[in-house]
Amino acid sequence: MNTFDMVIQAIYSILQWQNLAALMAGMIYGIIIGVLPGLGPSAGMALALPLVLKWPPATALIFMGSLYKCSNYGGSITAILVNAPGDASNAATILDGYPMCEKGKGGVALALSSTAAMVGGTIGMICLIFSAPFLAHFALRFGPAEYFLTALLALSIIAAVVQGATLKGLIAAGLGLMLSTVGFDVITGHLRYTFGWEPIEDGIPLIQALVGLFAITQALMLAESAESISRIGKLAGGFWEGVITYFKYPYAIIRAAVIGLFIGVLPAVGQSSAGLLAWAEAKRESKHPETFGNGDPEGVISSETSTNACMPGDLVCTIALGIPGSIGAAIFLGVMIIFGVVPGPLVFREKANIIYSLFVALVLTSFLMFFIGMTIAKHFAAITLLRNEVIVPIILVVSLLGSFAIRNLMADVIISLAFGILGYIMLKGGFTPVPLLLGLVLGEMVEYNYHRALMISGGSYSIFYSSVISKILIFLTLLSLAGPYLGPVWKKLTQGEK
Amino acid sequence: MEPLKMKEKLKLTEAWFKLILFVFFGLFFILAIPYPEKSKQFPQLIAVFSLIMITISLIIDFTRKGRVAEEIAAVDDAELKVLDAAIQKTKRKRFYKAWAIILISTATGFSGGFLFTTFFLLMGFALFFGERKNLFKNTVVAVAMTIVIFFIFQWVFEIPLLKSFIW
Repeated sequence: MNTFDMVIQAIYSILQWQNLAALMAGMIYGIIIGVLPGLGPSAGMALALPLVLKWPPATALIFMGSLYKCSNYGGSITAILVNAPGDASNAATILDGYPMCEKGKGGVALALSSTAAMVGGTIGMICLIFSAPFLAHFALRFGPAEYFLTALLALSIIAAVVQGATLKGLIAAGLGLMLSTVGFDVITGHLRYTFGWEPIEDGIPLIQALVGLFAITQALMLAESAESISRIGKLAGGFWEGVITYFKYPYAIIRAAVIGLFIGVLPAVGQSSAGLLAWAEAKRESKHPETFGNGDPEGVISSETSTNACMPGDLVCTIALGIPGSIGAAIFLGVMIIFGVVPGPLVFREKANIIYSLFVALVLTSFLMFFIGMTIAKHFAAITLLRNEVIVPIILVVSLLGSFAIRNLMADVIISLAFGILGYIMLKGGFTPVPLLLGLVLGEMVEYNYHRALMISGGSYSIFYSSVISKILIFLTLLSLAGPYLGPVWKKLTQGEK
Repeated sequence: MEPLKMKEKLKLTEAWFKLILFVFFGLFFILAIPYPEKSKQFPQLIAVFSLIMITISLIIDFTRKGRVAEEIAAVDDAELKVLDAAIQKTKRKRFYKAWAIILISTATGFSGGFLFTTFFLLMGFALFFGERKNLFKNTVVAVAMTIVIFFIFQWVFEIPLLKSFIW
């Protein structure tokens, strides 16, 4: 049977009532989980696992797949409305989504997010269905040195573009990388910088840090004024305005989808990097970069499309190679194994009906998410009209409960509060916490691959520039760091010629 | 001279933060010295790189300072400055109040569990930040939100909530 026949068979499978019901249940569950800061896709899937253990494998994986996808969408809702991303993958959305809310355009931003979920998710899934084995083969060409350099490239682009001042961005990224070294060393198992405090022995918990850096910081910023999130006190623009706006940026959509797919197939780089990189690229290529970070719809389009296109790419390595691209994908991998779907190249032949049913279910989820977005956008956007004395404690309670719920530790609440103070000081000091977050996310991967590369080369640093991919990555990293300084010089030179 | 002070104060927040980071990275570099070779290599590399970045950044800040001061000294924004100072004072007051509520509510969590923490937090903001005429409405919202959050976390997702000896 060829791919096309398998897709047709999968469509029939999806239309069975129990699969459709599982898909809808997964979507609703995912959106609710995603909306609660701290409870991202990984926590959502872990919580739902006991529920689906007795289900047929295809139905259970459809439920988990739609939950995984929709929890990302749910996270973008809170990222846009209250500047509190549900998961690290939604961090890029806040950059322009929240400023749009401040202008009263929360409904428009939610529409952009829903449309991006549909378009980005569909592009990603179609590419995945027809090119999964090829993409997996491409990912295999990346060794530790290439992963190390990819992470450095991501950090340098974010440091240079998101902050608007390369030095400050690099300092913030350095802080994130430094904090990622807290806890057990991934290579030697030696404890570092824990000062005897057990809750951070496994490293600084990412979600708790994320909740602090964004949700708590934002709550504190809001508490300073007596208004509401929407500074104009009303909602401007509707859902369809957002949908029309979305399709006005076809180039940004394609660029973001390509970035998302590329990042997705690289294990451990993850959706947070994809969204931020797409946002940074959109800003860099824009004719009006100063509007980015101030509520530019293209910023939301780029980050959301990329994140949604990244998720299928993420699944490629998980399904075809058994290498998860993110924490969520790692849990999904566990769920697959529990249901006897053992990842590997043979899975596309041996369990084709289940795998293709999952793929088709994810395409269907992308479309259904659009209609859910259309229904709820207006009601959710009304949150931005609530006065700060109401919305601030709600953000605090839900965020801190989310932090607490992950490990049932009061220490996690303290960690979130500490990161809240750090985020607040950073903002007041003219730093953005985004490079810090990316440093924290990628830190372990950077260090692990740095040591692995050196082990392979016997201590020789030439491994970092020996392959063609490495050379390209180094060139791009240098270009991204020098870009902000070379740009004006280049402009002056070309204007001088004229 | 007033506008200068204001601008310099803003600058100082950034400069102070950089100095704190300088100490932080320096400390992490020193703390890594007794670690095994492979464990200290990466953090020390990051520390050195960040220390260099902070130093360059501070040098740029201080060399630019004089030029910025000259530029802004010529602008007459005394009225704006008074208004800005008043806004800043109000903001700071609200910030400290918010922190007081957060800390007290978190502390009550140790004795009163989820129910007390949530209710204290919601009511604290309603009392200290809301208008008096909205007190009843805000109280109803506080009670309703506590119940809704309890319902979602405890019953829908079966997530264990903070418990203590009172509740």
